[in-house]
Amino acid sequence: MGTETEMNGADLKPGFCPTDGEIEKWMASAFDMAKDALENGEVPVGCLMVYNNQVVGKGRNEVNETKNATRHAEMVALDQVLEWCRHGDVDPQSVCMRTVLYVTVEPCIMCAAALRLLHIPVVVYGCGNERFGGCGSVLDVSAAQLPHTGTAFKCVAGYRAQEAVEMLKAFYKQENPNGFLTLILVPLACLWSPSG
Amino acid sequence: MEPQSKRRKEAESDNADFWVALPVLSDQQSQDTELIPAFAAPITDKKETSRLIKELRSLYPLTGLTHIKRVRSHKSADGLYSPQVLLCLVSDAPDVDLHSESLAIESLLPPDIVRVEGLGLPFLVKIPAFPPLTRPQFQLASKHWPTTFHEDKQVTVALRGELFGGPQKARMQGYMEAALAAARAAAGLGSGQEPVGAAMVDPKEERILAVGHDCRGGNPLHHAVMVCIDLVARGQGGGAYSFEKYPACTAAMSPTSSHSKPAAESSKTIARVVEEGQPYICTGYDLYVTREPCVMCAMALVHSRIGRVFYGTASADGALGTKYKIHTQKDLNHRFDVFKGVLSQQCKDLYGLKDPIKH
Repeated sequence: MGTETEMNGADLKPGFCPTDGEIEKWMASAFDMAKDALENGEVPVGCLMVYNNQVVGKGRNEVNETKNATRHAEMVALDQVLEWCRHGDVDPQSVCMRTVLYVTVEPCIMCAAALRLLHIPVVVYGCGNERFGGCGSVLDVSAAQLPHTGTAFKCVAGYRAQEAVEMLKAFYKQENPNGFLTLILVPLACLWSPSG
Repeated sequence: MEPQSKRRKEAESDNADFWVALPVLSDQQSQDTELIPAFAAPITDKKETSRLIKELRSLYPLTGLTHIKRVRSHKSADGLYSPQVLLCLVSDAPDVDLHSESLAIESLLPPDIVRVEGLGLPFLVKIPAFPPLTRPQFQLASKHWPTTFHEDKQVTVALRGELFGGPQKARMQGYMEAALAAARAAAGLGSGQEPVGAAMVDPKEERILAVGHDCRGGNPLHHAVMVCIDLVARGQGGGAYSFEKYPACTAAMSPTSSHSKPAAESSKTIARVVEEGQPYICTGYDLYVTREPCVMCAMALVHSRIGRVFYGTASADGALGTKYKIHTQKDLNHRFDVFKGVLSQQCKDLYGLKDPIKH
């Protein structure tokens, strides 16, 4: 298909940029993931890594189950890309250099640096991340002069931004009463556990 | 109490005095004094001083410059001290020709508000724009115009390199030695790992919780700090990875306390999850890492709510002092203290172990 040839043409890295059609298509998937996360009480961030018109990584926040505060959706997705390369026995760098990240919220400073370290050239995101954003909101790691931290990447920001913000708001609204409930319930559970 | 202390004494006791841990302060705390131009004038009749100050304050209150003292005692060329008073900022003054030979004092001070009796000819000075935050800044600022200074004694002591001494310094050295040993193990593996090591420490219990090294040969994002954070998570029943094939990466439970600690630890973890809504597992912990963390690792430490970070040597794209000071970043919701220089020479020497295949 047309899109595919265009992605293949991206061997020449400088002109590498997804088309409007690709952005619409893949961001729709990312938003579906975010919605799904929200419905399941997870941070509503959807993220997928697309190489050659193929999803080679997708992730959602795994901070709670791993007790590791660095397990953001993008970090999980990047690990999947690396795993995909290992499976297919292809060079990760050559794949990453032609992989686009589609994510509903601006990557944080840590994730932006990780994307650089793996040479991801383009990140398409919905809304900004005022608390942690690494593509300009708090720091601009994506474009900074950091010669020992991989490659700077291009950002395409603002696609369906309002929708992404609304989902985050909905999440934080529902999170607070939740937090209060666990505050009461977990100590109770601890009290009961010795007998059980 | 510490099984490693004996070994440490034998191995590296000679180096104990050869390093100093210095604080990595925010830009505001470490920048040069910013100066702004102002007009001042000598007080020729000391009896007029308090009236002059009062009248000048009502005309030019110097808003936002509460650190500036209105009057200074100035030592002239002949060694005599005489008082000088600050009139106003140049930016507050009505249009005056700064280049004119003698500035008419009346152009600055309308006679109906300030009687110029007792004042000499006005002249230009530069005064510190911001209150000094550290003693070095205070000393520099005072050379231009006297300011008040609310000293943070801990910062002053830290800047002298005297915050850590005696047994505490010896313990810090032991922790960094654990990180160094891991770094050397990484270098020994060949296969693309960088010679970087890290150790996570619970300073209250004086216990190493995890030791990790760079594993980027296996995954380019597995920098020593990321490995260490995941090992701590693993030690608390979480974790995303297995580092079993790297014997020098360990989530160590000290043998003496292994019976009682895990239970206490896990309930503490639950408490934290509950309080914060997220498992900020490194709250209150210290990280020792042989070189300054990169942006990814520094921000990972913010997300993990690290207590303090100690590193040996700066790195080119470092994010805790060199390129950024993420630990002092205004908009972020967690800040922490960073010290550099722990066993700096040994940490620098690691660069000599770099895997030549990688380049």
